[in-house]
Amino acid sequence: CCVPVQRPGDLCASPCVALRRTDLLVPWVLQRLKAAVHYTVGCLCQEVAEDQDVQFSKQTIAAISEITFRQCENFAKDLEMFARHAKRTTVTTEDVKLLARRSSSLLKYIAQKSEEITSSNMEQKEKKKKSSAVKGGRTGKQEAPVTESEEPNMA
Amino acid sequence: VPQRKTREPEIASSLIKKIFSHYAKMPVTRDAFKIVEKCCERYFKQVCNDLEAYTNHARRKTVEKADLEVLMRRQGLVTDKMPLHVLIERYLPLEYRKLLIPVAISGNRVVPCP
Repeated sequence: CCVPVQRPGDLCASPCVALRRTDLLVPWVLQRLKAAVHYTVGCLCQEVAEDQDVQFSKQTIAAISEITFRQCENFAKDLEMFARHAKRTTVTTEDVKLLARRSSSLLKYIAQKSEEITSSNMEQKEKKKKSSAVKGGRTGKQEAPVTESEEPNMA
Repeated sequence: VPQRKTREPEIASSLIKKIFSHYAKMPVTRDAFKIVEKCCERYFKQVCNDLEAYTNHARRKTVEKADLEVLMRRQGLVTDKMPLHVLIERYLPLEYRKLLIPVAISGNRVVPCP
């Protein structure tokens, strides 16, 4: 609904640094993102609190959400770098696995999850194939205009 | 003839000692140097492992400069404000710098060939 307005004047102080997606965001969009993260972190903390029978102070939850937000920045940068390294412009699960390589338990968990996702995707694709064979590929036509309308915003 | 014991390849301990004491700028005990040596061994193992992963990720079998740059970016040594060639200029002696950074020399030639 809300496309950040790109003004060339106030984007980036030094021209040598490559423009990041976050630089394009106007402050209130950032604030809204932060609020969404804060909300989700609060829900997760409450789950843990009920499970472990401990209490989280408000400051703790705020600190965790701030950490999460900043960590996302690092993740985004690294994923972008990995994708570029493999001469791709799209981040794939391979890049995500590479990101989690440092911790073996995390890598195991993520590999397992990615397998689950790929298997469920395959099932969905097969279902789509069957349904598109019946309906004559209607879903493909519906998706095409959406991707076209998004492209001008990305540039 | 007594068989020579085959040892794992490693960086000379005198070199490690020299480098470490250059940066430490304070007295270091012998035991501490032993630990530093062990850490160096571990470091090389880890770095090789990482480079292998990055090379496989780019569907290559040869480690290239790009893989090393990705590694150093992950280590936080190379950032947007600190490019790789600045680190090369700062930490490597002249003869190695010449091999890594293109320099224009007489006769309109650039070394190494870009």
